[in-house]
Amino acid sequence: MNAKIDFRKISFLIVDGDKISAQVVYDTLAYLGASHIQRVKTPNDAFEILRREKIDIVVCEWRLRGMDGLEFLDVMRNSTNSPNRFIPVIMLTAHSEHKYVTTARDLGITEFLAKPFNAKALYSRLVSVIARPRRFINTGTYFGPDRRRRQVQFDGPDRRSLDE
Amino acid sequence: MSHFDWGSGAIVKPEEPKKKKNVQIIPAQTDLKKRAVNFVNGFDINLSPEQLEELEQVVQRSSETFVRDVGKDLMDCRRLVIQALGDKSKRPDAVTACSDLAYSVKALGGTFQYPLMTQIAKSMENFVADRTTANEKQLLVSQLHIDSLYVILAGRVTGFGSTVEQATVAALTKLAERYEQPRE
Repeated sequence: MNAKIDFRKISFLIVDGDKISAQVVYDTLAYLGASHIQRVKTPNDAFEILRREKIDIVVCEWRLRGMDGLEFLDVMRNSTNSPNRFIPVIMLTAHSEHKYVTTARDLGITEFLAKPFNAKALYSRLVSVIARPRRFINTGTYFGPDRRRRQVQFDGPDRRSLDE
Repeated sequence: MSHFDWGSGAIVKPEEPKKKKNVQIIPAQTDLKKRAVNFVNGFDINLSPEQLEELEQVVQRSSETFVRDVGKDLMDCRRLVIQALGDKSKRPDAVTACSDLAYSVKALGGTFQYPLMTQIAKSMENFVADRTTANEKQLLVSQLHIDSLYVILAGRVTGFGSTVEQATVAALTKLAERYEQPRE
């Protein structure tokens, strides 16, 4: 028997100033059965909703008016005023170059989806966030999902101390 | 404290205690998984090719909106660029409009089977990146990009086009490189 995801039980917040892009994500989530989907254009509106309601997943565009998607993510993960430091954030962006991916990763992004995207890519990010949650790492310089997705065997005393 | 090692015959200094990194590992939040993952309701975690095809069709529903809205945005942007050619004070706004349009088309063109538009928009985005204004020639280069995007959209040229279209993309990129400076 195959495992399934019941999207009716998940609430989504789309933060995207582009009408068509937001509509594509909205339509896809609605088709999957999600009924709690909200759309806003700016991070300030997003914070308002996040402080007021329980949102499970944020789908956010990098390029936004005022505060951009990265600053939004930074506040979510690192600010004492953050409504939920652990909330999964899927970042959508047409900035698909490697440097952008690593920047977003190092600020605590949960999933990164480069535009132009297709339905399969979006679905796989949703599955990853919902069915394969990652542990969080808190250091002096990073707070966010574990960036080591591949767990390799290590037989030393303290793997992380080798990072220096 | 250092000591004499009888085996090697050397004076051995004690190792400095290793500074441990202050790392807190917080277990994964499984609330969402417990709530939504099951074996009865919803969509399979691994979608079949047919289900993926249906999902893709949902994305493509917005294709007509894309054509209509981007067509209008291209015309508005073109108008702004033409006005800016005769009025220097309008140039910053024209550059901002070009930048927004380029990003939007680059992001969505490929999603709606217009990867050629994504290619041209990418060239335009690179051209206007980090500019606050543009000179006359640079505005004309932007206008050529806009016109090319419009022709592709109006002709509904899906896919990467033929060699002619690819040659046009290459020519636009070269033109953008040629008039890249000054960047102010």
